[in-house]
Amino acid sequence: MKTLLTLTAVTLALSAAAGATSYPLTLTDDLGRKVTLKAEPKRIISVLPSTTETLCALGLCDRLVGVDDYSDFPQQVTKLPKVGGLYNPNIEAMVALKPDLVIVSKYGKLVEPLTQAGVTVLAINPETYDEVFSKTLTLGRVVNREAQAKGLVLNMRRDIARVEILTKNAVRKPTTYLEIDPTPYSVGPNSFMGVLLTKAGARNIIPASMGDFPKVDPEFIVKANPQLMLGLDARAAAGRPGWNSIQAVKTGRALEIPKELDTILSRPGPRLPQALRGLARLVHPELFK
Amino acid sequence: MSLEQEAGALSLPTRGPRRLGRTAALVAVLLAVVVLAVGLGSVTIPPGEVLGALWRGLSGADLAGNDVIVWQIRLPRVAMGVVVGACLAVCGGAFQGVFRNPLADPYLLGVASGAGLGATVGIVAGWPRASIPLVALGAALGAVALTLGLAREGRRFPPTRLILAGVVVGSILSAFSTFLILRGEDRARQVLAYTLGDLGFSGWRDVATVLPYAVVGCGVLVLLGRALDTLGLGDLTARSLGVPVERLRLLVVIAASVATAAAVAYVGIIGFVGLIVPHVVRLAWGASHRILLPVSALLGGALLVLADLLARTTILSQVGVVTTLLGGPFFLWLLRRGRHE
Repeated sequence: MKTLLTLTAVTLALSAAAGATSYPLTLTDDLGRKVTLKAEPKRIISVLPSTTETLCALGLCDRLVGVDDYSDFPQQVTKLPKVGGLYNPNIEAMVALKPDLVIVSKYGKLVEPLTQAGVTVLAINPETYDEVFSKTLTLGRVVNREAQAKGLVLNMRRDIARVEILTKNAVRKPTTYLEIDPTPYSVGPNSFMGVLLTKAGARNIIPASMGDFPKVDPEFIVKANPQLMLGLDARAAAGRPGWNSIQAVKTGRALEIPKELDTILSRPGPRLPQALRGLARLVHPELFK
Repeated sequence: MSLEQEAGALSLPTRGPRRLGRTAALVAVLLAVVVLAVGLGSVTIPPGEVLGALWRGLSGADLAGNDVIVWQIRLPRVAMGVVVGACLAVCGGAFQGVFRNPLADPYLLGVASGAGLGATVGIVAGWPRASIPLVALGAALGAVALTLGLAREGRRFPPTRLILAGVVVGSILSAFSTFLILRGEDRARQVLAYTLGDLGFSGWRDVATVLPYAVVGCGVLVLLGRALDTLGLGDLTARSLGVPVERLRLLVVIAASVATAAAVAYVGIIGFVGLIVPHVVRLAWGASHRILLPVSALLGGALLVLADLLARTTILSQVGVVTTLLGGPFFLWLLRRGRHE
């Protein structure tokens, strides 16, 4: 009993010094549920690519025992068992992997069946720009890598600042339309992609009032007459009724987003600085010669 | 068709003048809706400027700013709305007549699920946007051919077998689409947008492509109005009056399917217009197909343009959502009202 007390005291002292997490740990997840982790998770399943990337960036790639179909970075996670996607999750496969923690998104219906199967489930779902950092810290706490998470966030912020220093003083910031889906959908300035676009030195033509990922009326874009269009090539843009009158099309500044960058850009995770750099290169190629 | 409606169909001439007034009013409504829809949108353009833009477009002057919006974006979109709305309403009316089934709509024989599957294959595989309507058109016609083949009984096409075959072919093709969507999750939104109907990127070229199918298909149906009326009296009676029932049924099915397939291929699956418009017309104008079909074209066109105007100016954002959300309750209200009268 005494040794146990001493151990606890030592652990507490250590956690204060090095930021180690003490378990059991209770926290409120992104679905508003109170979740308790009895011990440091050792067998983790991630069903969100951005979570997978964060865990690996915290040096815990080897604790992952399964990932969703879309997790493909870093390279080593591609060898892990796949447990399905948002619409077709393979719950049996998840349970069979005997995880002590499954980290899910806010969407989908995994929480109930997994909880019933006795698996601890945590919803962590960064959506805004600021949440990318705050959820990284939360994740660090959950997996007992608080110090590493703080370090990671610091590094990310530093790398982002490096790009911002370049773009901040750009002489002209082009008005820009960023297309994430040809239906067409775009991004509002308050979404994490919108924040990146602004930091990349562009002026987003979508006003905040239209929402974070609005479906846009094509004529709105013609009226806004952007100088730069990202996410569709010049041929696709010129093929749409009326769009060949848009400045960006006339000057050949309608650019496809390279596949690799497009993937990074859609993931609110540790590769945010890379996404920003890639975006800034497209917006201001002259700054990256 | 009820006895009352048949009586209505046979006693048409006595109600002529009142119907003419209603039709004139409907033409005025259609024109008003078109003018309204060209002027309003995410950018409001005053009527004077709209007229100016029209004139500049017609006189071949260079278009800039709002002129581009009026001439190259809104007008073709509105025109597409008129053509597709008319198509769906006429084909729905003809189907309800030929199958003597009030629930019949233009998608009855699997056209929508065929087009949906074609479009899904193209979208998920990442084919160029311009090729999607062509794939959808082909698949839609293929689906109808399949339905006809399965329902055939010798040289006859019994209505019940046609409907059953259509429903089942539709379900099977939809299941294929769902399977593909699940495998290509990241394109799911594009497929969904198509499935809910979207006039978004309709250009003059699209209108010009759909128009011939619409004119020929709907034209044939309107010309067959009198024959459809006779068919309403029952197969036996129609045959004894010299109507070639089987050939007529096949001709109606093919004409309506071709027109619907073309419309669906270019704007996606817009629900409800084809179902409710003919019923509304029947309540106000009577059930004779000679009147029903052309009037349905006018009302269908006006309704779809109005629905699309709401779709692009409100948060409802997809025309198919608007037609169902507004058309559905309106139709139910009409049903209840009809019962009390």
